[in-house]
Amino acid sequence: MEESAYFDKYSPINNVWDEMYGLDANVREHYRKVIDYISKESADDLNKKEELAKRLFMSQGITFTVYNSGEGIEKIFPFDIIPRIITADEWAFVERGIKQRLNALNLFLKDIYHNQFIVKDGIVPIDIIYSCPHFLREMYQLQVPYDIYVHISGIDLIRDEDGTFYVLEDNLRTPSGVSYMLENREITKRLFPDLLPQCSVRSVTEYPSILYKNLLALSPRQIHNPTIVLLTPGIYNSAYFEHTTLARLMGVELVEGRDLVVNNHKVYMKTTTGLQQVDVIYRRVDDEFLDPLVFNPESMLGVAGLMGAYRKGNVAIVNATGTGVADDKAVYAYVPDMIRYYLNEEPILKNVPTHQLGNPDEREMVFKNLNNMVVKKTNGSGGYGMLMGHAASEQEIDDYKKEILKDPRNFIAQPTISLSAAPCYMQGELKPRRVDLRPYALYGPDGIEIVPGGLTRVALKEGSLVVNSSQGGGSKDTWVLA
Amino acid sequence: MLSRVAASFYWLSRYIERSDGMLRMLKINYASSQDTVQEFTWEPVMRIFAGLDAVEAEKLENDSRSVLKYMVTGKSNPNSILNIITLARENARGVQEHITKDLWQCLNEYYHTVKDVRLERALHREDPIGVLDVLIKQVMLYYGTVEITMERGEGRAFMNIGKYLERAIQSVDILDTKFSSISDNPDLLTDTTYWKHLLLSLGGYELYLKTYREGFEAENVLEQVVLNNDFPRSVIYSVNNIQRYFDRLKNDSNADDYREMSFQIGRLQSRIKYSSVKSIKQEGLHLFLTQIRSELYGVGNSLNQHYFANS
Repeated sequence: MEESAYFDKYSPINNVWDEMYGLDANVREHYRKVIDYISKESADDLNKKEELAKRLFMSQGITFTVYNSGEGIEKIFPFDIIPRIITADEWAFVERGIKQRLNALNLFLKDIYHNQFIVKDGIVPIDIIYSCPHFLREMYQLQVPYDIYVHISGIDLIRDEDGTFYVLEDNLRTPSGVSYMLENREITKRLFPDLLPQCSVRSVTEYPSILYKNLLALSPRQIHNPTIVLLTPGIYNSAYFEHTTLARLMGVELVEGRDLVVNNHKVYMKTTTGLQQVDVIYRRVDDEFLDPLVFNPESMLGVAGLMGAYRKGNVAIVNATGTGVADDKAVYAYVPDMIRYYLNEEPILKNVPTHQLGNPDEREMVFKNLNNMVVKKTNGSGGYGMLMGHAASEQEIDDYKKEILKDPRNFIAQPTISLSAAPCYMQGELKPRRVDLRPYALYGPDGIEIVPGGLTRVALKEGSLVVNSSQGGGSKDTWVLA
Repeated sequence: MLSRVAASFYWLSRYIERSDGMLRMLKINYASSQDTVQEFTWEPVMRIFAGLDAVEAEKLENDSRSVLKYMVTGKSNPNSILNIITLARENARGVQEHITKDLWQCLNEYYHTVKDVRLERALHREDPIGVLDVLIKQVMLYYGTVEITMERGEGRAFMNIGKYLERAIQSVDILDTKFSSISDNPDLLTDTTYWKHLLLSLGGYELYLKTYREGFEAENVLEQVVLNNDFPRSVIYSVNNIQRYFDRLKNDSNADDYREMSFQIGRLQSRIKYSSVKSIKQEGLHLFLTQIRSELYGVGNSLNQHYFANS
């Protein structure tokens, strides 16, 4: 078969797993139809598609606002038009791995907030737990419905040079980005008419209805029509678009902290016809801001008395508060042990080897090899405060070392894993760029369900390994084949 | 419905209606500025819509392009089209899951059109009427989209209350300003273009021609703008609609709030309904309009208190 001009000019990065480019310098079979399809399009046509995508994002308000000199500038999250494709086999493996991991993490949370067997048995050291800022004493002995803590999670996966999947981090607090999974697919339908069914791509549209079903099941009041709300920090939050999208797709009320009030350990929302009791809160507000009486007293985003109502069992909170102790980067290193301890199984998905800098021996070893390491803050996110050893100057490394020594517990180091690359459309050509994958898992009373798809984030800068949107990352539509 | 959501619906709608009134006013005033031999003054427009004091207004009032820029894209003018559309959109953003996707997209387009730097340039260099028409069309799209896609529920009732309240206040303000100019300059009383432009800016010119055959008379203009039930921008038409949509908020769980406000709106409605040009003139037009305005503001305050939970 004749290869396309786009593919012919494509040069994969050495020693990096390429999602499209096979070992024998051929298109991998699952990318074939897409490559054939775009080969029929001129660079002009593809530029037009890119333009159309931008316009669709803009006119639908799928934007985040960057505040600059007092004036809000609307930006769109960069979107690459070439989909990232995952085969049915790869997906089945990932799905099994995530379910196993999530099961163990959820058991860990229940254990750590009740009997702490895992600590008593010497699997996880106690100081790692108690030094974690996201460990909440307020959750101790608090009974959550169905013993489910992590209802919604986004597990970040990456692939090394031979294509093996690794878990980079577990996002168990309020993971965002799922609206991009949904919107990217809608945009792809417009960009490449008829291509999705030809390739037998599995649908992602079930996500809101599964989430809704799970939320409904958590209602403490056994009534036919419980009140479910989505709690947002407000229109200035960068993920506000996502909050409205989810509220709309599930048909639940989108509320801000000021819309809610607690009376007699019950939560109510203020309506034009008086107070209405709230049963389930899907909150997109961090633990710290959720209840000014218990956490940050300065918070205007939360509801005074919410934790009291939660403890009484009069309202369900999703995700449960205090889940941050399980996605702490220092605790991350113990997840494989948790899987063995709670499930008596070998981990399906691998962990990236992780060194605790709180431990003097490991710290010394890491300091010697900083050039080949990535150092992260244990409670950081969004790609802020990271040191990429291979790209840092001597000065940056020295400064960072000083930073580490101030509070070593707050840092971990991992060997630089070379992320896999996928083709991106850039100025008329296909170029390899590094990607990760975040599938979204929903844990309800019926078990864990993962919508076949997810968010593929891509580092659009040449050579960059950082995919976070705050650091110049973009996203791709993610196809899981049937 | 959440109180905050109700308040957002109401304000969204008020801002859009305000932008509509402003754009039409600016368009007709610009057209008439091309039509006069003496120097054209923008002072009344500035007084009605920008709340500028005499000194500030004087700096701008004779330079049409500067006035348009200030009123449409002026960042320092809190009541510029740009700023009120930004506010309208922020309100819509806060209730995005309550309005249809079509309506959200429509508002978004309006916002991006106003925000586009090309618009400001065109306003400065090209034909301003063309630019204003583009914006007026956005408002019409908005109203069409609301009409076709929005559910007929509580939200739309609050939208309509906001819309007609804003419209009534505008008509009262415009009349008051135009008629008070006459007391300074009695020649205007017989100036047919003066009345023609007033009617044009309210979209009531054609109706006037059909209703009154004897040419332009101040009293007839007054009658149409205050008392004509069939004129969509008359005060009585707007107040009737406030009453009509407020009625839909009747609900067993807040009977007291409803009764109190229903009384207030009914009293205002009767006050206008049982007035005539003659009685208004006896009473003094300015006094009459001042009272109506303060009652309209009162309705807004009561909504705040009884429905929007703004304590």
